[in-house]
Amino acid sequence: MSQDRRSGFAVALSRRRFIAGGACVPLAFGSSKASRAGLPAIRFGLTPVFLNNDIQLLDALKLYLEAATGHSVDLVTRRTYQEVTSLLVSGQLDAAWICGYPYIQYRDDLELVAIPAWNGKPYYQSYLIVAADRDAETVLDLRGDIHAFSDPDSNSGFLVTRTLMFEHGLDPETFFRKTLFTYGHRNVIRAVASSLAQSGSVDGYVWEVMLELEPALVSQTRVLRRSKWLGFPPIATSRKMAGTEKALALQEALVDMGSSPQGRKVLDLLRLTGFEMPQEKAFEGIAGMVARLRGVL
Amino acid sequence: MRGRFGFFRLPLIWRVPLAVSVLMVLVSAVITERVLDRLGSIQETYLQSIANSYLDGVTASISPSVLREDSWEIFDALERLRPVNTAIVPVETIVTTPSGSILAATDPLRYPSLEKMDDQHIEQFPDRQIRIESDDGLAYLERDIVYQDTTIGRIYTIFDARLLLAERRDVLSTLILTNAGLTVLLVLVGFMTVRRMIRPMQTLESHMIEAAEGKATRIGVSPQTSGNSETRRLFMAYNSLLDADEERRELSTRLAEEEKLASLGRLSSVMAHEINNPLGGLLNAVDTLKKHGADAGVRKSSLDLLQRGLQGIGEVVRAALATYRPSRQARPLSLSDFHDAKMLLSPELRSRGQALELLLECEDGFACNCPADPVRQAVINLLLNASAASPDGADLFLWALKREDSLMIEVGDRGPGFPLDSLSLLTGPAPKNLPEGKGLGLWVVRQITDEIGAGLAVEPRPGGGSIVRITLDSDAFVEINHAA
Repeated sequence: MSQDRRSGFAVALSRRRFIAGGACVPLAFGSSKASRAGLPAIRFGLTPVFLNNDIQLLDALKLYLEAATGHSVDLVTRRTYQEVTSLLVSGQLDAAWICGYPYIQYRDDLELVAIPAWNGKPYYQSYLIVAADRDAETVLDLRGDIHAFSDPDSNSGFLVTRTLMFEHGLDPETFFRKTLFTYGHRNVIRAVASSLAQSGSVDGYVWEVMLELEPALVSQTRVLRRSKWLGFPPIATSRKMAGTEKALALQEALVDMGSSPQGRKVLDLLRLTGFEMPQEKAFEGIAGMVARLRGVL
Repeated sequence: MRGRFGFFRLPLIWRVPLAVSVLMVLVSAVITERVLDRLGSIQETYLQSIANSYLDGVTASISPSVLREDSWEIFDALERLRPVNTAIVPVETIVTTPSGSILAATDPLRYPSLEKMDDQHIEQFPDRQIRIESDDGLAYLERDIVYQDTTIGRIYTIFDARLLLAERRDVLSTLILTNAGLTVLLVLVGFMTVRRMIRPMQTLESHMIEAAEGKATRIGVSPQTSGNSETRRLFMAYNSLLDADEERRELSTRLAEEEKLASLGRLSSVMAHEINNPLGGLLNAVDTLKKHGADAGVRKSSLDLLQRGLQGIGEVVRAALATYRPSRQARPLSLSDFHDAKMLLSPELRSRGQALELLLECEDGFACNCPADPVRQAVINLLLNASAASPDGADLFLWALKREDSLMIEVGDRGPGFPLDSLSLLTGPAPKNLPEGKGLGLWVVRQITDEIGAGLAVEPRPGGGSIVRITLDSDAFVEINHAA
């Protein structure tokens, strides 16, 4: 199914590449947009969200952003959240799609650019998943598991479960037999589905979207516990880059993504409804957890 | 064993083709087995190299993760590195620590991480050498993960080798069917060919058996005779052999006859001499009768002289007639035969001053079932030989002793003893060929004794000379009776 969809998208993509490369670009995005020629490239970092291996999505996103901002866009992907966050904080990236947890950790150095909206809201949940046929009912039933986390800097893939354990007075290192970092939410699902891990902490948005894209894989798992709604992984820039032309152009392109066919294609691939202007309060939940675990982690 | 003997009881014409057929089947079986064995080796080598390539890739990829005991990275690598387009596909790969604790496996449900690898399961993996289980078509291989000369983990991989095994089965069935078909064909052809080739041998065999039974017949050889020229030459050689044997027999018979005639000739001259000796006396007696026949005294003495002279001549003639008879009548031997022999030899003996002592330890009217003629001829020959071998004035003897079940005849001479070849002629293996030159008389003696089944022995005579002994036992008597 997903492959068919991707093939269909590839055709549309080829057509868009043609349009983007031709004289239609100004017509499509208005004469106010500057020509790409002569403008510095936007270095845009991506953390492994869920389709990080999907070259077609990256191509589509790059094409859209280049067309919408007038800048050439270099998409920079790294294996871990930490690497991307470090690049962003050190100014080696103009902007990056990071997780809410590192944003809170580096809040003083970062500035929000936009927040993705899923089902119309800039919120998502963290899921605690187990094998579909497992009898467990609460997190306490997971004692002795091999537990798969996504990334030590992931909110949904680590922080939420870590906070939950803390609230129960449990230490993951002793409560679980072993913990794994798979560096990808899809990998967490794979680890639990294959029984390599008996339970896992995963991004609820990724789990839901993958249930649609890869039902055979995801249906081997079930959600044991859903967290409260938390701020969706945002697009942020470093504090010193905030307000620059590139950051503004990127913000505008993201927020306006739903207004162009190419943008909507990208949103469709991402299963998002759009991007919203930054809202600090969306991350209060995450900030609260970080505060609770201060001194523990 | 019974079967083996059964096989060996088969006629040659079946035995040889069957043996050839069995050999061909055996050769075919050995070739099939060799080819399959080689194929198996090649496949195992191929499998081993593919498996090694796979494990080389996996080892290189997961070594850092094994060092960190990062189960996810190992699992992810195993998933990504799984080949799909090869003849053998790894169905299960298990990575453990050196102590056997599972780090990750392609099937974590079956091989959960952190669990100990089952020892029984480990035993299925021979060290570094691939093992193919033909029952389920799986191949097992184990490899150490070495990092900086230290074993940091182990990989156990189970490959699906069913494709290879199916290929081997295909080759096996094709090979067996082809070989079986070819073998059957070759066996049939070989059977018929060999049978045809050895048929002349069978013909030769049957003729030789017949020849051994005294019913030798020639093998019909014509230009159309089946078989090649070699067979024809063989048959012709056999026929030549028969011809030569026949000629030899005829020659022997003729020579024996000639020898008999020669003996007779010598006897005839003796006989003529014996007749001639009294002849002058007889003619004188006849003259005396003509002139003084009126005188009763002269007439009586002349007639007595005539009677004695004619009786002497009559004795000589009778003895000569008895020695040579055109048809051998089975007249039994009697004492008179020995007297005849002495009488026939007496002129020869007298001329050389030799004396012949006749010792007959038999009852008067002695008669046995022995045919007289051959014995008589043998005795005369022995006496002639004894006389010739002995010096002038020698004392010879002829001794005949009749017992219940045997008759023994001895002839003694004063000669220097039998030379070796003569001795061999008498007592050695049956002579096949006629002696050249001397010894013909002794050869005749040997022929006669062999013919009538008599024993022949030679021993030294006390005081010098030799004794030749002819022994006729009761069995010989019976045979002779039948012959009679």
